[in-house]
Amino acid sequence: MNLNFAHLHLLLNHFPIIGTIVGLALFLVSFVGNNKDLRRAAYIVFAGIALLTIPTFLSGFGAQLGIQGKPGVSDTLVARHEGSAMLALWFMFATGAFSLVALWQSHQRSRAADWVIGTVLFFSLLTTGLMARTGNTGGDIRHPEITDIQHGKIVEDPVSALVSHFEPNPEKFSELMLSNEWWWGFLMALHFMGLALIIGTVGLLDLRVMGFLKQLPVGPIHRFVPYAMAGLGVNIVTGCLAFIGQPENYIYSGAFWLKMTALLLLGLNAAVFYLTDVFEHLEKLGPGEDATMFAKLVAGSSLVLCFALVFLGRYIQPLGDTIRNASN
Amino acid sequence: MAVPEIFNSIEQTAISRWVRYSPSIFGFYFILLCHTIGLSLLVGGNAIIAMRILGIAPGLPLKPMKQLFNLMFVGLGINITTGLLLLTGYPTKALTDYDFYVKISFITLGVITMFKIYENVFADPALTESDMIAKGKTLAKFSLVFWIAAIWAGRMLSETYTYITYGHKYAR
Repeated sequence: MNLNFAHLHLLLNHFPIIGTIVGLALFLVSFVGNNKDLRRAAYIVFAGIALLTIPTFLSGFGAQLGIQGKPGVSDTLVARHEGSAMLALWFMFATGAFSLVALWQSHQRSRAADWVIGTVLFFSLLTTGLMARTGNTGGDIRHPEITDIQHGKIVEDPVSALVSHFEPNPEKFSELMLSNEWWWGFLMALHFMGLALIIGTVGLLDLRVMGFLKQLPVGPIHRFVPYAMAGLGVNIVTGCLAFIGQPENYIYSGAFWLKMTALLLLGLNAAVFYLTDVFEHLEKLGPGEDATMFAKLVAGSSLVLCFALVFLGRYIQPLGDTIRNASN
Repeated sequence: MAVPEIFNSIEQTAISRWVRYSPSIFGFYFILLCHTIGLSLLVGGNAIIAMRILGIAPGLPLKPMKQLFNLMFVGLGINITTGLLLLTGYPTKALTDYDFYVKISFITLGVITMFKIYENVFADPALTESDMIAKGKTLAKFSLVFWIAAIWAGRMLSETYTYITYGHKYAR
């Protein structure tokens, strides 16, 4: 069996839908008795699912290229699903980003600010609904018999009709990304600034944990992490916009998919760093003190993955057709 | 304005042709990769030091951060080497593009500021932490502005050039 983008999309597409429901359930239950551990778990689920939404969204483009023009596949339904996925993606990113802010604040002062908690609640409620709609519109593609189409137009229920007004037209959105060379240059410039910020901040932390620059205490270096997160956020948004502008330049590139794998592994690495006792031990590490071997391993792999992102990003273009060539 | 013939001569050299056409994994894209890694070391290091001087992570002692300059100098060395190789590969493309001069100007300003920070803030071990911050504050702000502008101008190069190689105009 040849694994293709449709398989990958089917493998991944339930995670954002079910994940947001699980996250929202944890988050809502956490308000009963003000359970901080449960709320923290909800933030972690939201952040993790936001990261997992990226390959889910990207594989959807590949799946679309695979089914385009096949008998029984409606382009209108595919475009509707793509538009709903694009809208859900940005809301998922917002939920994940504010969850990270909440996690940071709850670490610094035992509890996140009320406005942050309120914002996570707002975005997670909307994201859960939008993800459900995305799943629904995706299901309609292979089950047109359950969709009400009259005279080539989809008849939506009132709520879906309202939401559909906010969903971008995928084709126009793609054209918009390429319509102005200054805009494209601006996106790419932001992507590189984000990169420099990530390497500068995470790189410094990793090097210190690995045993270099030992005169520096680890705790204060960790204060730079929100800037690394900001850099990562900028890079995820600009990267997704660049992808939407020229999906065919990325989708068939082996380097691009390895880069996405490296990004997910970096997320996993961060989870190991914060969810085991590695971070607790490191935060108290003063000048001249040595980290444990496990902490050094985590820091080393973080540094390797950061540079893997740079390396693979640079080879997306020359390895642009590796997947198409391999499947031919 | 006519494109100087010397650009054509450079493009005909073996090294220039190698940069442009070599299928080796150490060819054009590898040079670009090294240029990006150099950028992240150079600008990342400068950004961390500037942010620390401007008040972020106040618990982090400034003096030991001097060691970061070693990484920044390595980044600068990588970028000068790879930048010259890229320029040898595409002299007409770069030198007929006004944005290239904008980029080089900002890099020069950024590098001068980096050396000024090294000299004024880190060179004298007798300076106290607050003296270091006072001496570096304005330079740190300039450093951030210059490096952001250099990256921006660098990324715009792919959108602003007129010639790809000598005699080959790019139709936009």
